Amino acid sequence: MNQSEELLKRLPNDIGGLPAGPFQRIEHELLPWEKRCHALADVLDFHKIINTEEKRRGVEALGGEIVGQLSYYERWLDAFANILFAKGIIAPSDFARKMDEVAARWEDGLPGAPASSTT
Amino acid sequence: MEPHDHESTHGAHDHPHAEPGASERPGYYDMMETALRELLIERKLVDPAEFRRQIEVLDSRTPALGAKVVARAWVDPAFRERLLANGRAACEECGISSYDETELIVLENTDKVHNLIVCTLCSCYPRPVLGLPPDWYKLKAYRSRAVIEPRTLLAEFGTVIPDSVEVRVSDSTALVRYLVLPKRPEGTEHFTEEELASLVTRDAMIGVIPVTANQGST
Amino acid sequence: MWGKDLRVIADKAGVVLALGEEPTFHEGDKVRVLNRSPIGHYRVPRYLRGKEALIESVIEPRALDNEEEAYGRNAGSKRHYYRIAVPMTEIWPNYAGSKNDGLRIEVFESWLERR
Repeated sequence: MNQSEELLKRLPNDIGGLPAGPFQRIEHELLPWEKRCHALADVLDFHKIINTEEKRRGVEALGGEIVGQLSYYERWLDAFANILFAKGIIAPSDFARKMDEVAARWEDGLPGAPASSTT
Repeated sequence: MEPHDHESTHGAHDHPHAEPGASERPGYYDMMETALRELLIERKLVDPAEFRRQIEVLDSRTPALGAKVVARAWVDPAFRERLLANGRAACEECGISSYDETELIVLENTDKVHNLIVCTLCSCYPRPVLGLPPDWYKLKAYRSRAVIEPRTLLAEFGTVIPDSVEVRVSDSTALVRYLVLPKRPEGTEHFTEEELASLVTRDAMIGVIPVTANQGST
Repeated sequence: MWGKDLRVIADKAGVVLALGEEPTFHEGDKVRVLNRSPIGHYRVPRYLRGKEALIESVIEPRALDNEEEAYGRNAGSKRHYYRIAVPMTEIWPNYAGSKNDGLRIEVFESWLERR
């Protein structure tokens, strides 16, 4: 089997039994945004807007380079965005505008987290 | 900041995350979570109250829940039988709902079998009864090695299983989640159920370490 | 949940079961994981393809094919998943642990054949 065929036939996450680096018994306490991301995923699954299996496929579809460079919850968010765009629920331009709006809440040294962040 | 597999270049993560209440802007992905959620709320696809509630659901799911189930199984043989027959139903008896609709199979460690759980394809984990998994469980080394060399992997945790005992690895791939029912340690015959529960650690319920009669940590 | 008896009881009652209502495989059956090569999404790891296994248990309730769920299918026909037992020595030719060691994994019905 040639290399490009193998790339299709083995998903980047299908690593059972493959050579891996050294085991490190590391863990970290979830940052607030990571916990929010997890809660968002659960709510999206409850409503079948993005079910859990769609999320898994969405992460796989990011491809090896992004999977290698982004952390666990960063990958989830990228997958959510892609799936929401593909379903026509959100447009990329909506996302871009909203990101600018969110970023602007911290301009000019505005103190504190914005009121809308979890309400 | 979350640990990565070693091949990550960490390029996106050199900026610090803002502390709550600071005037420094949060990181890109922190803002991305906010942006996606607000867009979905504006479209009435996500309800902010449900989202806030789910944070509370997650906060309420910790290894202490699993530890209580294990301790009860140790002291109550009829409960143990129900737990092994249908893990989800037995946990529901204890008030532990399966909020993600997963089923639960409880795997009993015995003198003949030592169980270990893994999700080689992603990070499936019995979240309703243990909370969220540690990073090491989700990273490549654990996931790739658990199914091909479980004994050397267990040795990394200081756990040595004799050859006469089967090491049985359960790889979660669908709607069933697994919880290891560890062996009750020697010298605990007089312990109360609460005292027993305090010995049971998350890692023992994943199957990477045993439960010992000394106070458990993680 | 009725195992092999479901068909027998249904037959006696003159009841015809719909396709998929009765599990195709039962505890103790000898099966083989198929050797096909999907792309895009799958939930049967490569290390398991073509391996011989035993059915350890039939998982209830029936459920959707998760490989189709991944593309947004949230309802429809359901079939059984099975918890299968595979010796480590069957999976890995040079398995270094004890020959008693084994693996358990859940597999959707369409990925298995009788041997």
